[in-house]
Amino acid sequence: MSDVTLATLPIEAALQQAQVNGQHRPTSLISMRDIWKTYQMGTEEVHALHGVSFDVNKGEYIAIIGPSGSGKSTLMNLIGCLDTPSKGDYWLNGKNVSEMDDDELARIRNQEVGFVFQTFNLLARATALHNVELPLIYGGIGSTQRHEMATQALKAVDLSDRVTHRPNELSGGQRQRVAIARALVNHPSILLADEPTGALDTHTSKEIMDLFERLHSEGNTIIVVTHEHDIAARAHRILSIRDGLIEKDEKIK
Amino acid sequence: MKLLRSDIYENLRMALSTLLANKLRSFLTVFGVVIGVITVMLIASIISGIDVSVKKEVESFGTRSIFISKFSPGIHVGRRSREERMRKELSYDDAIALSNLPAVELSVPFLDITNNFFGQKLLVSGGGKTTAGVALQGTLPEFERAGTQVVSEGRFFTQSEEDTKQDVCVIGSKVADDFFKFGSPVGQTIKIGSDEFRVVGTLQKREQFLISGGSDDQNNVIYLPFSVAKKLKPNADDIYILAVGRSGQMDEAKDQVRDLLRVRRQVSFAAPDNFGMETAESILDNFRSITAGLAIAMVVISSVGLMVGGIGVMNIMLVSVTERTREIGVRKAIGAKRSDIMWQFLIEAATLTGIGGVVGLSIGWLSTFLLRLLLPSYVPLWAPIGGFVASVGIGLIFGLWPAWKAARLDPIESLRYE
Repeated sequence: MSDVTLATLPIEAALQQAQVNGQHRPTSLISMRDIWKTYQMGTEEVHALHGVSFDVNKGEYIAIIGPSGSGKSTLMNLIGCLDTPSKGDYWLNGKNVSEMDDDELARIRNQEVGFVFQTFNLLARATALHNVELPLIYGGIGSTQRHEMATQALKAVDLSDRVTHRPNELSGGQRQRVAIARALVNHPSILLADEPTGALDTHTSKEIMDLFERLHSEGNTIIVVTHEHDIAARAHRILSIRDGLIEKDEKIK
Repeated sequence: MKLLRSDIYENLRMALSTLLANKLRSFLTVFGVVIGVITVMLIASIISGIDVSVKKEVESFGTRSIFISKFSPGIHVGRRSREERMRKELSYDDAIALSNLPAVELSVPFLDITNNFFGQKLLVSGGGKTTAGVALQGTLPEFERAGTQVVSEGRFFTQSEEDTKQDVCVIGSKVADDFFKFGSPVGQTIKIGSDEFRVVGTLQKREQFLISGGSDDQNNVIYLPFSVAKKLKPNADDIYILAVGRSGQMDEAKDQVRDLLRVRRQVSFAAPDNFGMETAESILDNFRSITAGLAIAMVVISSVGLMVGGIGVMNIMLVSVTERTREIGVRKAIGAKRSDIMWQFLIEAATLTGIGGVVGLSIGWLSTFLLRLLLPSYVPLWAPIGGFVASVGIGLIFGLWPAWKAARLDPIESLRYE
C-alpha cells in the first residue's frame, strides 16, 4: 500500500497498517485493516463495507450485530473466507487471506473456519456421522482417523447416541448440534455462526447458546452474527455494524 | 490427487445413494445407454459367431480348393437370372482337362443326382429308414486326396470300382447317424432307387455355418462312383468341379483354371465369365462384407443409444446441480475445492451411466443365450469391456459441463439459494 493511501487512514488503523507493511504479522487471530467491499449494481457502485478495521484475539466470544442491509452478512462472508475484500487486508491466524485464490480460500475455510448456519445445512441423506466427517474428507484425512475425529466431535456436543441418525430423524436442536460438531471437527481457529438460533424455539435456542458458552470456556474463538439482542448479549464483546461501518465495539464481560 | 486415491470410494458411495434416491429417474436417464450396450453385446457376439463358423467352414472347404460351378458364387436371394440358368453345364471332360494344368494338383467332377422338385425321385433307404432328402453325389476316387472330406472308418471307393461301375458308396456322418444308429455302417447296405449299395466308408463330421439337416447339410451326403451316378440318373447333367491348386501356387491355379474354362466354354475376349469360381478367400470376403455391415449397424445403433443416454445424463445432471445448489454451497463453505465438486458430479454421472452399462451387459449377455438357439454366437471379451468403458466414458463426457457448472458456483449465492 502506498504512503498516499496511508495518509487517508484513521490514525490508529494507519499505525497498525504500518506494522503490517513493515512485515510484522498481526499477533491477533483476526486482523481486518481498512476492509472495503464494493458491488457493481448496474452502473452504480455500492459500498457494502467502507473501511472496516478490527482485531479479534484467540479465545474471544464476539457477537456481530446490525440491522439488515448494514453490511453484517458481507462482513461475515469475508471473515468466513467465502469472499475476498475489494480493498484492505485480512489476516487470519497469521495468513493474509485477502489475496488468496479460490482453492487457497477453500483450504482456509476447511482448516481455519467452522461454519454454523441458521438452517443447519446438513446433507439430508447422510448420517450425522457422515455429515461431521465431510470437512475431514475435503481435508484429505484417512477414513479411520476421520471416523475417530467425527465420533469425538459428536460426543463433544452430546450426540454420541445419534451417530447413525439422519437429519430427518433428529430434532432442530440436535441438527444444530450436528452442524456445530461438523464446524468443530477440524479444530478451526474460529467458529462462525450465522443466526444460529434463527430456526429454533426459545428453549432450544437457550440450549444452543449454553453449548456455545461451554465451547468458549473450552478455549474456542466464537463469532456469532445475529440481529437478536438477547443472543448478542451472551457474547463478551459486541460489534455493531451500521451502513458498512463499525458503529460500536464494546466489551460487555 | 488425494481425492483420486482415497475419496473415489467416498464419491462413489455418495453417488450411489443419490441415484438410489431417484431410482425411476435414474433408470429412464440411462435407458439409451442400456440399449446401446445391449446392441454392442448382441452384434459383437453375432460377428464373433460368424467369424468362428466361417473359419471352420473355410478350414473344411480347404484353403487350396477352387470350387467351380456354372453359377456365380456368393449369396443370392430368389431365382437366378435367366442368363445364369441358361448357361451351359460343366462337364466331366472339363474336370479332366483342368487336372492336367500345371498349377492344379487334382480336379474332380461331381455329378449331383440329389432329388429336387423335378424328374424322377431316388428314394434312399437303409437300417429300416427311407428318405428322399439326402444329397447324392457321383465323383472320382481322387476326391479323397483333396482332403476336404476325411474317411473316419473303412475306405474311399477305388478307381477300379469306378471303372467297373460297382454299387459302392461312402456316406457322410449324418447319414451314418440316421440310418445306422447302432454298430458300424461299413459293410451294411443302402438302397438307392432300386439298386443296393454296399457302404465301404464313412466320413468325418464337417463343421458348417447356419445349415443343419436337409440335403444342403454337407454331412447328409452319399458319395458314389461318378459312373454309377450317371447310370442311376442317365439324364443328370448338373456337374460342378472341385480343383485343388498346388501348394504355394493358388493364384496361378486360379488364373489357369479361369483361362482354360473360358477357352473350353467359348467365352469371348471382353465377356464376363459364364461360370463361377469360389475359393476360401472369396468365401471369407463374402462373410467379411456381412460382418462389416453388422459392425456398422452395431456402431450406429449403439452410438445413437449412447448419445441419447449421454444427453439424458447431461440433462439430469443439470437438474441435479440446480436442485443441489445449496448442498454445493455448504460443501464449498466447509472446504470443498472446485475440483472436489467437479469430481463429485463427474463420478455421479459416470456411476449413473456405468450402472446403465452393467444393466445393458447383463441383459445383453442373457440375450446371447437366446440368440444361440438361432445362430452360432459367443461373446468376445472386448464387447463387455468396450461396452462398459463406453458407458462410463459417456457419463464422464456428458457430465463434464454440469460438473463444471456446479464447480464454479459461487458459495455465497449457493448458500442463499432456496
